[in-house]
Amino acid sequence: MIAVAQDSLALPGAELPAPAGPAPGTWSPLHIATDRCKGCGLCLGACAKGALALDETRVNVLGYHPIRLIDPTACTSCAFCARVCPDCVLTVYAAPKSLRGTAR
Amino acid sequence: MTIATIPPDPLHHGHRVLMKGNEAMAEAAIQAGCDAYFGYPITPQAELLEWMARRMPEEGRPFVQAESELGAITMALGAAATGARVLVSSSSPGISLMAEAMSYMAGSEIPMVLVNVMRGGPGLGSIGPSQADYFQATKGHGHGDYRVPVLAPSSIGEAMALMADAFELAEKYRTPVFILADGTLGQAMEPVELQFRTPPRLAADWAVTGADGRPPRVVKSMHLEPEDLEVHNRHLQAKFAEITAREVRWAGEHLDGAELVIVAYGTAARVARTAIARARDDGFRVGLFRPITLWPFPSAALAGAAGRVRGVLVVELSAGQMVEDVRLAIEGRTPVAFEGRTGGMVPTPGEVLDALRRLWAATTADATEPLKEARP
Amino acid sequence: MTTDTPAGARVIFERPELLADRSTHYCPGCGHGVVHRLIAEVLGGLGLGPRTIAVAPVGCAVFAYDYIGVDFVEAPHGRAPAVATGIRRVRPDAFVLTYQGDGDLAAIGTAEIIHAAGRGELLTAVFVNNGIYGMTGGQMAPTTLLGQRSTSSPGGREAAFHGYPIPMTEMLAIMPGVAYAARGSVADAPAIGRTKQYLRRACEIQLEGRGFAIVEVISNCPVGWGMTPTQSIERLRDVVAKEYRPGVIVDRTKEA
Repeated sequence: MIAVAQDSLALPGAELPAPAGPAPGTWSPLHIATDRCKGCGLCLGACAKGALALDETRVNVLGYHPIRLIDPTACTSCAFCARVCPDCVLTVYAAPKSLRGTAR
Repeated sequence: MTIATIPPDPLHHGHRVLMKGNEAMAEAAIQAGCDAYFGYPITPQAELLEWMARRMPEEGRPFVQAESELGAITMALGAAATGARVLVSSSSPGISLMAEAMSYMAGSEIPMVLVNVMRGGPGLGSIGPSQADYFQATKGHGHGDYRVPVLAPSSIGEAMALMADAFELAEKYRTPVFILADGTLGQAMEPVELQFRTPPRLAADWAVTGADGRPPRVVKSMHLEPEDLEVHNRHLQAKFAEITAREVRWAGEHLDGAELVIVAYGTAARVARTAIARARDDGFRVGLFRPITLWPFPSAALAGAAGRVRGVLVVELSAGQMVEDVRLAIEGRTPVAFEGRTGGMVPTPGEVLDALRRLWAATTADATEPLKEARP
Repeated sequence: MTTDTPAGARVIFERPELLADRSTHYCPGCGHGVVHRLIAEVLGGLGLGPRTIAVAPVGCAVFAYDYIGVDFVEAPHGRAPAVATGIRRVRPDAFVLTYQGDGDLAAIGTAEIIHAAGRGELLTAVFVNNGIYGMTGGQMAPTTLLGQRSTSSPGGREAAFHGYPIPMTEMLAIMPGVAYAARGSVADAPAIGRTKQYLRRACEIQLEGRGFAIVEVISNCPVGWGMTPTQSIERLRDVVAKEYRPGVIVDRTKEA
């Protein structure tokens, strides 16, 4: 069975659940425009914390494996990923004081 | 070196002055509201560039001598894309370099006026006058399906008047417009009564001026999807059909009761006029059909005039280019002969008169025999 | 297309307003996308959106007018500096920017760029140099490096047969009409940041009326180079940047 969620298609045999938004009381340092990602991987090389990965279990509308934030707590909001992205896929936030350390 | 041929006073509408063709065309453009001029030196139109070099800064308007004709026409493309009234001038080899931009301007629907002061070719050729760029001008010398209006003055006064008309046509139809002159017209000096006209400006809601308070605009000729490009081409063809329906111009002299007619334009028409005067003195009833728009060609009017005569003589400063359109228009109903000189040579009235006599003899001796080319 | 900012969070980075919110036709990892964004950021930051008339090239960036939200004129291949000169001369208040690739600027357009620069035209020229003809399928360009393979130099570029790569920006920088010439790179985030500074300075120089300004940006072409995006960035940093060295080449506004 194919699950469709948030601009990408799970490939047959996929184990991971669809990416979910931040749970209440948490926040995400990145918004990823999954439908525009071309899976080029340059952001992976730019990220010093290894917080991003290509989600090879999913395919977006352009036919690429989009990136996914796999370790939100590691993200320091340095925005290097966003600056090297040729497609402006990433929007980067810095944590509000109240939610510091709660990135999901 | 350009010798100032007119008094230092500014040229006034209504003054009668002795003026060089190149300079007269330049001043007519300035008075018609030309906003910018881009050019490159080439004989026999360098005086047009030089006149602009002196006068445009006096008027506070841009003048650029570009690095080549290619540079000049492409600068003009940019300026005209902002809605400015732009003039470019050159001569045959330089016009060849402008073919690329002509196609782009036709496709992008950018208005502009170009003056070609034709010289002998092909290649570097000679600096003598010529009409051998007729094909180039009328058949659309850049790539793609397009036409541009072509105006052919035969006197300096007419060249000045057509300059204003050219800007008007260009802006009305969003197209480049050729003024096809030749070296004789450019270099000759004639007395002319200055008749300047400044055509009103049309609103250019397509022009790029900076997207201030409106969505951005793009001036382009690329429509990558074939379906889109076909739609665009149909739009262009509809425009050409409208120009053909509305903007044909020609002039006739002594056509009533004529038994032969000469078809000629520009300097050839002036030579023909002298030959016709002599022929009429000798009792031949000869008229002149002078196209003023070479595109759209006055086919219907010419067919009508040709239907009433026994023979048509086409006179050109070329090996025969307009004669093909004349034959197309007449569709074989009347014999067509050709008389021309090439390489920068100008036919003499005597040569034209001889051709008329041969045509007369050929069409009178045996009216059923197809006319052989009346040339030695 | 950003989601609502989480309550209390600060936006560190987002798509600039002058960059269209749409997917581009550029290949995955292509540097054009980065340069487009930098232009959008710089023009937006200087408030130049409503005044800009930009000139698009022939090449992969032929669609630049679909991505950057300012007025655009399409130029024939190589002619952007001439088209821009025409615009500049009739519209003194406009901000005029050209965008060209290496085939456009350094092959067919050499006369136009040299003379616009020589005349000191008040233009800002962006020169994206990825050392290949991308749009037409990966042929050799004037800036293709020695030894580099392309579809028209399949055995690798040889000096004796193909000639040497042309250092266009250094050549232009000799001329007094050139107020500013710099070379940036999209190799990594710090390089991209410096490139943005060069672009910003090049725009300011036009606004200050100082003369012609050009920013070359060495960029990658993964498909043309036959590499993954990541490999192409490595080649850009380790190979290309050694031949086409980033930095400010000339800044005549700092002299005298």
